[in-house]
Amino acid sequence: MNETRKWILHRVTAIIVAPLYAWFYFSLVSLSTKNYTEAIYFFTNPLFKILAILLFFVSFIHIRISLGEIFEDYIHVKKIKDVANIFTIISSIIIPLIILFLLMYKI
Amino acid sequence: MNDSKNPISPHLQIYRWHVSSLLSITHRISGIINLFALILIFFWLLILSFGESNYETFLLMINSFFGKFILIGFTWSMCFQILSGIRHLVWDLGYGFEIKTANISGVIVIIFSLVLTTTFWIFARGFI
Repeated sequence: MNETRKWILHRVTAIIVAPLYAWFYFSLVSLSTKNYTEAIYFFTNPLFKILAILLFFVSFIHIRISLGEIFEDYIHVKKIKDVANIFTIISSIIIPLIILFLLMYKI
Repeated sequence: MNDSKNPISPHLQIYRWHVSSLLSITHRISGIINLFALILIFFWLLILSFGESNYETFLLMINSFFGKFILIGFTWSMCFQILSGIRHLVWDLGYGFEIKTANISGVIVIIFSLVLTTTFWIFARGFI
């Protein structure tokens, strides 16, 4: 991906993630005073499920670009930097997929 | 001492901190903290899928003193990064680069991140 597209994608994902994350974190902190049944009930709303899944997919795109920048600044050995980037890319695909599976089939 | 006139990178122990540099590094650090917050949320949902008894144990953990400390810390980190992010987006649009404006916006970000964190907790949990 070229740097301009990366720069734009970083901003666009930030604008999508900010309200989604604020809403979802607020919901979870509210649920922390309630019991299991109420937490499960929260996720019976399909819109909430879709937004939570979207949050994970979009924020991990944002995280991947951000961590790439940080690795570029602080890791000076190319091999280690490449490994760090590959690990980030794999995690940023696997974690949202697990969330997708959990919310679609388990919760 | 090195006689060379070459510039050296900021020496953290004698480096004079400015609002701008403080906010710059804090923006990065809060981003990393938010990554940990998202990982906690991941485990939150994972444990929720494990059933009632596991989830009740998890609730006990996050409602302990240490748990609340972490959740409040994550709240501040989120508020700070959103506000600081808006500041960065305004810069991307080409506004607010004057030193005075940048300093004022920086102080506003710090103050409002604390105000928002408090407001967030009062509304989400009804105090602590």
